[in-house]
Amino acid sequence: MNKSWVARYARLAAPLWVAAVLCGTLASNASAEDVIRFGAPLPITGPLAPEAIKQQQGYDLWAEEANKAGGISVGGKKYKVEIVYADYQSNTPRAVQATEQMITQGNVNFMFGAFGSGAAKAASTVSEKYKVPTLAATASSVQVYDQGYKYLFGTFTPNDTLTTPLTQIIKAKVPEVKKVAILARNDLFPLAIAQEMEKSAKANGFDLVYFEKYAIGTLDHSAALSQIKSLAPQWIFVTGYINDLLLVRKQMADQEMKAPVVTMIAGPAYQEFIESGGKTAENITSASWWHPAARYEGKDIFGATENFVKLFKAKYKSEPDYGQASAALCGALFQMAIEKAGSLDRDKVRDELAKLDVVTFFGPVRFGANGQINSLDPPVFQIQGAKPVVLFPEAIKQGDLKVGVN
Amino acid sequence: MHAAQILVNAVVLGCLYACIAIGFSLVWGVLNVINLIHGSFIVLGAYLAYGLYNALHVSPWYSVAVAAPLFFVLGYLLQRLLLNRVITAPVLVTLTMTFGLDLILNNAMIYFFKADYRKLTLTPSLGSVSIFDVVVPVDRLIATVSALALTGLLYLLLRRSRVGRAIVAVRLDRDAAVLMGVDVKSIYAVAFGLGAALAGCAGVLMALIFPISPLTSSGYLGKAFVVCVLGGLGSVSGALAGGLLLALVEGIGSTFFGPAHATTLSFILLIVFLILRPQGLLGRKGFE
Repeated sequence: MNKSWVARYARLAAPLWVAAVLCGTLASNASAEDVIRFGAPLPITGPLAPEAIKQQQGYDLWAEEANKAGGISVGGKKYKVEIVYADYQSNTPRAVQATEQMITQGNVNFMFGAFGSGAAKAASTVSEKYKVPTLAATASSVQVYDQGYKYLFGTFTPNDTLTTPLTQIIKAKVPEVKKVAILARNDLFPLAIAQEMEKSAKANGFDLVYFEKYAIGTLDHSAALSQIKSLAPQWIFVTGYINDLLLVRKQMADQEMKAPVVTMIAGPAYQEFIESGGKTAENITSASWWHPAARYEGKDIFGATENFVKLFKAKYKSEPDYGQASAALCGALFQMAIEKAGSLDRDKVRDELAKLDVVTFFGPVRFGANGQINSLDPPVFQIQGAKPVVLFPEAIKQGDLKVGVN
Repeated sequence: MHAAQILVNAVVLGCLYACIAIGFSLVWGVLNVINLIHGSFIVLGAYLAYGLYNALHVSPWYSVAVAAPLFFVLGYLLQRLLLNRVITAPVLVTLTMTFGLDLILNNAMIYFFKADYRKLTLTPSLGSVSIFDVVVPVDRLIATVSALALTGLLYLLLRRSRVGRAIVAVRLDRDAAVLMGVDVKSIYAVAFGLGAALAGCAGVLMALIFPISPLTSSGYLGKAFVVCVLGGLGSVSGALAGGLLLALVEGIGSTFFGPAHATTLSFILLIVFLILRPQGLLGRKGFE
């Protein structure tokens, strides 16, 4: 009885196995021939989900545009773009696992970095081990790039490139600003930016009267803000993510806090900040790695910055911000490097990435020896009339600094 | 004057914390259920206020009247149809059940409303009042008064009404209540419904103050938990006392040790209470 049961299954199993193997071979042949697969580990669920969605939109827009144009041409042959996503649930160790799985089992040709500096650094150890060229769209901290890795490239300049121009503008334009107060979210990127600001402020002769951190998930800032108010600083500098900054700004208005200059990083770069902040968003200064108001004539698939913004708006019905743009840029850079290399060979593509020196819709792109971009002047901007207005760099300047945040 | 401002900030915040915690405390005290869906109920209430204001220009003050019955029915049905089936099981089972329900509700909200942060901004804004240089934002003041009113209403309900007395009876001694003819299952459902209604109303009020996103639910739940442990379970005045204590410790701690340590201090306080006074400020010993 038992034997016949086993035999029956064995008889069935053999042809099924053959069929499965045949299907697999056919499928993998098809994908190996016509498709270039890009792995994208992202925190699609969990607290970082909003950021992941932004990055995903950037990658998807690039993939759609590249495929609309027939794909990426490699040695005269067109390859379609396919992006393989993995959700690492906002959990960095899982980002490392997901990266390894994509490379060893997912047959990806190239990788996009995980979100932010922390996860991108952790996951880069895996892609370096397997020698897979990786473009990190949202990692700015120098610590990601000082590991001596050959296959990792990133499109965000170091954090101090955001704070230094801002400090110089304020120093030149608003000489009455003497006292600076800094309130920072106790988190990798926001804290790093605040520390850079501390250095820039001291180097430019400002008097730092307050520097405190607040915990992640803080629901109320009234105590810290009351203290800042009592110190009467002329420049209030707050770092955090959009929810923190909306709350801080609301509570500043509640406490009737006024200052000639209020700077917030990184919320104001997002359209939601302007919409949700309403009048309280006016005259807030900020800096980010890219802004839709930038005007570059790119040699990449998107061409002019305006064209990228137009395509993005048509697809998602909203303004792109620096996260989405940087993700799309990473795709466009891969496309250029692959087309120049004329091959899918990972080492050749890596060498082309390292050699890139090109103007894109995002700005000029050239990577330093450590893999981090060193050719960009991140824009300083200010919310004026419910619109972000670029103050720096000169080449794309749209207006002058307005003093006074009420 | 700075000290007065910090004190006023803390009192206002304490009332908001009480408002967040009171429904949670009621459910925990009466049903012995740690209701992990509470934070998501608050967020759902906030979305209700946001939607009604932006689509129909309904002021959040009226939205409270919409939220209360709506969330009561939601909570009542949830308890009747699902939680009552496992209410007698060990506490871990109900905990897992509410955890699962929370995952479903929270992810449904992410799906329908997206994870973007939104803000209910009243036009014209309510502004602030200042007395001797101490500034109090009007929206917080109204939320505080509403929180006190809701707390008072619940207190009256539990003290004066037949249903309220039955809830208290079940809380004190379930078996004796059954012998006195109390329909325990429907009292459970009513208590859970009330808890949900309070969460919904709290959400409507919080929408004026905090940015709205499904991701904020765990923050509310954490505060509710701490407030309950500090103030004592199932007692209305306990939630208020716990909320005030927590806000004072956070406010004063943040001034002296920096805002980064406010949360650490509040959790140290929590541990101290768990060791030295597990029944909380106003809770009575021996009630499960």
